[in-house]
This record gives sequence, structure tokens and C-alpha cells, in this order.
Amino acid sequence: MSTPARRRLMRDFKRLQEDPPTGVSGAPTDNNIMIWNAVIFGPHDTPFEDGTFKLTIEFTEEYPNKPPTVRFVSKVFHPNVYADGGICLDILQNRWSPTYDVSAILTSIQSLLSDPNPNSPANSTAAQLYKENRREYEKRVKACVEQSFID
Amino acid sequence: MDSFKKNDGNRDELIIQQQRDIEKEISDSTPLVGEQLPLTCLWAEYNGDDVFTAKIQDLAKKYKFIRRTRPDGNCFFRAFAYSYMEYLISNNSAYKEFQKLAEDSKDKLVELGFPSFTLEDFHETFMEVIRRVSPDNPGGYNKVQSELHKIFNEQGYSDYVVVYLRLITSGKLQEEAEFYQNFIEGDFTIEEFRHQEVEPMFKESDHIHIIALCAALGAGVRVEYLDRGEGCIVKAHDFPEGTEPTIYLIYRPGHYDILYPN
Repeated sequence: MSTPARRRLMRDFKRLQEDPPTGVSGAPTDNNIMIWNAVIFGPHDTPFEDGTFKLTIEFTEEYPNKPPTVRFVSKVFHPNVYADGGICLDILQNRWSPTYDVSAILTSIQSLLSDPNPNSPANSTAAQLYKENRREYEKRVKACVEQSFID
Repeated sequence: MDSFKKNDGNRDELIIQQQRDIEKEISDSTPLVGEQLPLTCLWAEYNGDDVFTAKIQDLAKKYKFIRRTRPDGNCFFRAFAYSYMEYLISNNSAYKEFQKLAEDSKDKLVELGFPSFTLEDFHETFMEVIRRVSPDNPGGYNKVQSELHKIFNEQGYSDYVVVYLRLITSGKLQEEAEFYQNFIEGDFTIEEFRHQEVEPMFKESDHIHIIALCAALGAGVRVEYLDRGEGCIVKAHDFPEGTEPTIYLIYRPGHYDILYPN
């Protein structure tokens, strides 16, 4: 059955294939357009460089009027990522705009990796290290980058 | 401690879930846009309250009917769109003018920096809705009105119309940022305000939304304020001031419905 959400997700997918942004990719799972798998490559010149971080994106029939639920499957040590992979990012919550598509979501998360917001921490250890002990922070990040190759 | 941490771990999602439950309860019990009802049906809501009874009596001198909208935070935009389209389908030249303005609005928003790919989706649906309520329909006004009512109660169409009006409002705020900055309280920039209070669905509207939307569409709205304020007369406000309104709304704290003048 075609609903506005499904129609829009097909468009999102088409655009992601025709005009893929650098360093991210995503596609619906085989039998369900409402659940996507995605990968974000760690941005260059950040401690996340070379990492391949997997995510799942779950949409409801209210997409794009409401944001999807996005979660890291790979372990990510980052001030704005919860232990269960949930992401604390304003555009996925109270600043969601229906004009965002999957491509915009993934590139926003990618830039969150480069520019954490330690003032609204989802992982307080990561936030504290990011502010007070950047070397230790980078060490912990690099450990999860290596972990991401195995996952 | 561990279990506490776990519960606390993703508070955002718990809050979102709770919000969704409340929204579902409202959507199951109230249509997006209801039927036209006699204005005096409001009495039942304020049974025995002298202030409101007197004020409704005052309002009933000027208005015959009310049409309720779902209280989901989109009520201003939905009521505005429904009421304006009802006006347009009975006024062929205004309809044609609006159709042209709506057609051109997409390019204008793209110029203002909105992403054309996603904008297109909303614009196409918006134009389809306008086409479907053309006053040229041989079935006449009643036929078109019932089509309008049907469209506005189909969540997919109805919400896309709201989204598109929100984007037009946001575009106007950006276009005349310097002017609208004066209306914003607190430390918000226009940019932040647009992203936090205008573009997201389900965010309630304030005067600034009304002023910007009216300015963008060249439409006039009269809002009647029914509240516990002094006196037994309902105060009205026209947006923009001095314009002959084509849309009549009633505002009760937190909610807009549609009014029909005598």
C-alpha cells in the first residue's frame, strides 16, 4: 500500500542513490521500507577517521511530519550518543523539520561526530573527557573505531 | 544504580513515547476538522459560567456557526487553510490569484535556501489539493465544499497542507528577518525560531506566525479572543490591522477553531 510516508521514503532512497553525500550510505532493509540500515564513515581529521559506524533508522507512517528513530548499532564513544546507541541531536527531536530527508539526517549525524555538543551530554564520561582530557577522549574514540571494523 | 542508569539512559525517547500516546488519544477522539455546528454549542462547554455565557452570547450576535479543529498544535494552520480555501472556492478570481501565488511560491522558497528536493514533495501535494477544490467544478459549491472537507480529514493531505504553510511562514520570517526579529522574545535568533517554533509540526502558533503567514499570502484574518478577561464582550484582532478579513477564527487559550459570520 502506498502511503505518503512510503512514497516519500522511496523518493529519499532514489535521491540517496542518485546524489550520494560523501561518507554516508543507507538503504531500506529487504522486506521493509520503514526500517533502514545505514553506515557513516568517520570524518577525516577527527578521531573517528577510518571508522565505519552502522546505524538503523526506523520510520513511522507519520514521516516526514515526525522524525524517525535513529540508533547506532556499532559502539560509539561520543558525548551525544547514549550507551544503547540512541542519539541526542536537536534535529531528531524538537528541531525536526519535514524538509529533512535521510540524506540530511545522515550528514547531520556525521557532522555531530566531528563537532560534539558536550553541553547536552548523553554520555557524561565522553563529555567530560572531551572537555577536560582530549587525549584520553581520542584514545577511547580510536578504540571504538577499531571495534567498528570487527562489528 | 545500574537499573537507574538504564532508565535514565534514553529519556528523550521515553518523553517522545509519552507524547505519542497522548497524541494518539486526541486523534482517536477528534476529527482533524469537524462539522459546522451552531455557535451556541459552546455553552455546553462552559455550563453555568457567567463570564463565558455572556461572552458567547455577545459572539453569537456576529457569528452563526463554529467548526472545530483537532487540538494537535497545528490547529491555527489547519483552521486557517480550511477557512481560506472555503473562501476561495466561492470566489473564482481570488482562487485563480491564489493558485498562481501558490504555484510560484516553490521557486521563491528554493531561492531562500529551502531544499528543493523535499520542498517539491509538499508543493506538489499542496497544488493537487488546490486543483481538487477548483470552483470550476460543474457540481457547484456544495460538491467542492464536501471535497474540501474530505481532503482535510485525510491525514496525509491535511498534514502536508499544514507543512507547506509552515514552510511559507518560515520563508517569510527569513525574507524579512530584520522586521520579525522585533517580535521575538528572549535570545532566539530568527533562524533558531524558524527551526524550533515554525517548521516542526505540532508546534503551536503565536501572533508572529499569523502575521507572517498573512503577509506571505496577502490574506486577512480576524481572531476573536474568548477568554476569562474583563467585561462581557469578546475582543477581536485583525491581522494585518486594517485589512478586511476573509478568514474568521476563534481563539481560546491554546486553541483555534473556525467561525462563520452571520
